[in-house]
Amino acid sequence: MDEWSSNNATQTDPMRMYRAKRDAMHRSVSSKYSILGFISSGTYGRVYKAQSLGEDAKIHAIKKFKPDKEGDVVAYTGISQSAIREIALNREIDHENVVALKEVILEDKSIYMVFEFAEHDFLQVIQHHATTLRTAIALPVLKSLIYQLFNGLIYLHSCHILHRDLKPANILINAAGVVKIGDLGLARLIHQPLQPLFAGDKVVVTIWYRAPELLMGAKHYNKAIDCWAVGCVMAELASLRPIFKGEEAKLDSKKNVPFQRDQLLKIFEVLGTPTEQEWPGIKDMIEYQNMKRLDPYTNRLNEWCHTRVRSQSGYDLLRQLFAYDPDNRLSAKEALQHKWFHEDPYPTWNAFQAAPQQIPPHRRITQDEAPSMVPLPAAPFNSHTQSKPGSSASMSGGGPYVVPSGGNGGGGGNGRKKARLG
Amino acid sequence: MATDFWSSTHYKRWLVDRATLRQARADDLLYVDDPEHLDFLALYFGELIVKLGRKLRVLPQRVIATATVFFRRFYLKNSYCETDPFIVVAACCYLAAKAEEFPMHIKVIAVDARDLFAQEPYNVKNFPSDNAKLAEMEFYLVDDLECDLTVFHPYRTLLALCKKSDASGDPADEEEAGELGVGIVGEDGPRYWGTGQGQLELPPNGLQTAWFIVNDTYRSELCLLYSPHLLAVAALYMTCVFHPATAARLASASAAAPGGSGGAPDPPPRRSSRQAAERKLPAQDPLAFLAALNVSLPLVATIVQEIIAMYALWDRYKEDAATADPGGTPDSRGDDEGGVVTPAQLTAILSKMREARAQEVAHPSNGRPFAVNKMLERTQAAG
Repeated sequence: MDEWSSNNATQTDPMRMYRAKRDAMHRSVSSKYSILGFISSGTYGRVYKAQSLGEDAKIHAIKKFKPDKEGDVVAYTGISQSAIREIALNREIDHENVVALKEVILEDKSIYMVFEFAEHDFLQVIQHHATTLRTAIALPVLKSLIYQLFNGLIYLHSCHILHRDLKPANILINAAGVVKIGDLGLARLIHQPLQPLFAGDKVVVTIWYRAPELLMGAKHYNKAIDCWAVGCVMAELASLRPIFKGEEAKLDSKKNVPFQRDQLLKIFEVLGTPTEQEWPGIKDMIEYQNMKRLDPYTNRLNEWCHTRVRSQSGYDLLRQLFAYDPDNRLSAKEALQHKWFHEDPYPTWNAFQAAPQQIPPHRRITQDEAPSMVPLPAAPFNSHTQSKPGSSASMSGGGPYVVPSGGNGGGGGNGRKKARLG
Repeated sequence: MATDFWSSTHYKRWLVDRATLRQARADDLLYVDDPEHLDFLALYFGELIVKLGRKLRVLPQRVIATATVFFRRFYLKNSYCETDPFIVVAACCYLAAKAEEFPMHIKVIAVDARDLFAQEPYNVKNFPSDNAKLAEMEFYLVDDLECDLTVFHPYRTLLALCKKSDASGDPADEEEAGELGVGIVGEDGPRYWGTGQGQLELPPNGLQTAWFIVNDTYRSELCLLYSPHLLAVAALYMTCVFHPATAARLASASAAAPGGSGGAPDPPPRRSSRQAAERKLPAQDPLAFLAALNVSLPLVATIVQEIIAMYALWDRYKEDAATADPGGTPDSRGDDEGGVVTPAQLTAILSKMREARAQEVAHPSNGRPFAVNKMLERTQAAG
């Protein structure tokens, strides 16, 4: 009997002792936080607003990852590459303008990332101005938001981290008006990669914010793609609508990346058709022949900026961020040196300082339609069917503004056509 | 592997001292006849990870190194006797592949691991065929690693310090160096290296030798004790002494330059003037170069000693059992200092440890059986 039981212990379940020990030590999400409500959902999972049960009673955003699924079978295949990235990167970084990770709790096959809470995001600010206030974002606010965004981006780039998914929904602002770059789920280190970046993720960056080199099929890209996205975000803050609002061509059944004709046209309509003079590498790009077939356009960015950016130096900054040749595009560091940031009105650390009456209302939370945030014993992970984009996270004052989006709170709304593959 | 080392979790949280290492093995020590067996086990598992990595359509060295660091960190908090190190090895490889952006499918790892572990000398017949078990282990592993998944390795320092020798015809050298040389090499990133410019020129294969020495350090627990850049410098120092071509150059250099005598920490000459002088000199003095680095040479010397001790141990670890008695009781040669140990013996030692521990837990001397949470287990099994 003794012989049998001891053998049994190591033979049938070799990790029983270990598991028992670990589970006894575990402190559950519900023992540390009380869930106040649901913020948003996306391809990665769901985001909740939560309050610490500790003495500080601080508010947090808890991002709960869905486990990776294999087809229809709910076989658990481990932690997703995206979650590994986001955890690994967030553990190492620390910057005022990047959302801080407080802790990660692993419980019942789900991963809970506890982030500092941010009351607002760029998308919310844009929507608030577009539908409720019906005014442009005040110039000092606009400038402060972009300044702080670049400040955070310099930090990420100096750590060799490409964000690869910068867009209004992923850029948060806390109650003190400080910008916080969020959602590093698509971000990755580019220092001495073992494989080309292309090998991991065939498509990066939400289509409207995707740089021309990516649209042209580049397999090698660099920090310049993030700077292009910031240009798009800046233009969107200035005009309250996406500057290059193209239709995404879908991947075919073999997951080949299609030619993004409409998105390129939207860019050319404003910036003109790129020439070999301004972008010498273009003739070697995969989609060059496809591009040649498009109607030619001339650059009218200056005209576009005239009513929207309301500043010659602001136009100049945009022009340099929208350089077709990635090698000529302004880097985040250079952008902060740009004279737009060093002339009146100056950027402020509280981005809303100059126009407190324009602060959007607090983030709205809803009750989750999913059964429970903390899974009941053996709750299947597909218990909540994927919510329709934006259905559950109706944004404050979310009117007819563009595609309804559930994005914010450190997550990307799937309404914004994020393609995440591989 | 990219942020600033000095502000990394690696530096701040995962470098420990000898006492901590000893403490981590305290439970295991109860179940071995000779404490040395634990050192051999460290070697055995390092070897196992390399083998699994090779089987997995050749994982890049950096993935293997990261997997090994994960394994060592896991066993800072756990004991061999209370866990199944084989599934931990597989989970470390699976996780490291993801952490290093070289993802592998869980099925591939599970199949290859089961295949490899079932063979001699490991004879593990109960490796779970269910991927979910491996995934579950990964989950616990991430928790035990406290989510610190970015690991720094000495390879980066080696490449930063050494000029790639173009005369090298060794294809392996090209491959390995190329593998890490891809991409944007630190154009504006913070370098955790403290000194100025200047690179060490090594004769052909010199860098490769240093690279191999670094690979070998993962057979031991040195990656938990010392910063990667110190391990790199130690490996370079050993290359200077043991690599024939490098050692020959060293001899000629010290003969030519009386200043650079035998590794004594001379006051570092001014970098700029040295650089200028270098161009005229026929050969650079590698020891003077190392001496000029902003690292503690006594510490480097200590590390070199430890690497040599690891090689001495490794020398007695024999894959083939020709000289040893495969199924034989290892304890019979317990205090035989120079004895040979085979993987087969270590497998036997390990399973003895785990069985003894299981016995102990089921029937503890204080009469209180160890409570196992059956409920939780069932829940997990069901999920």
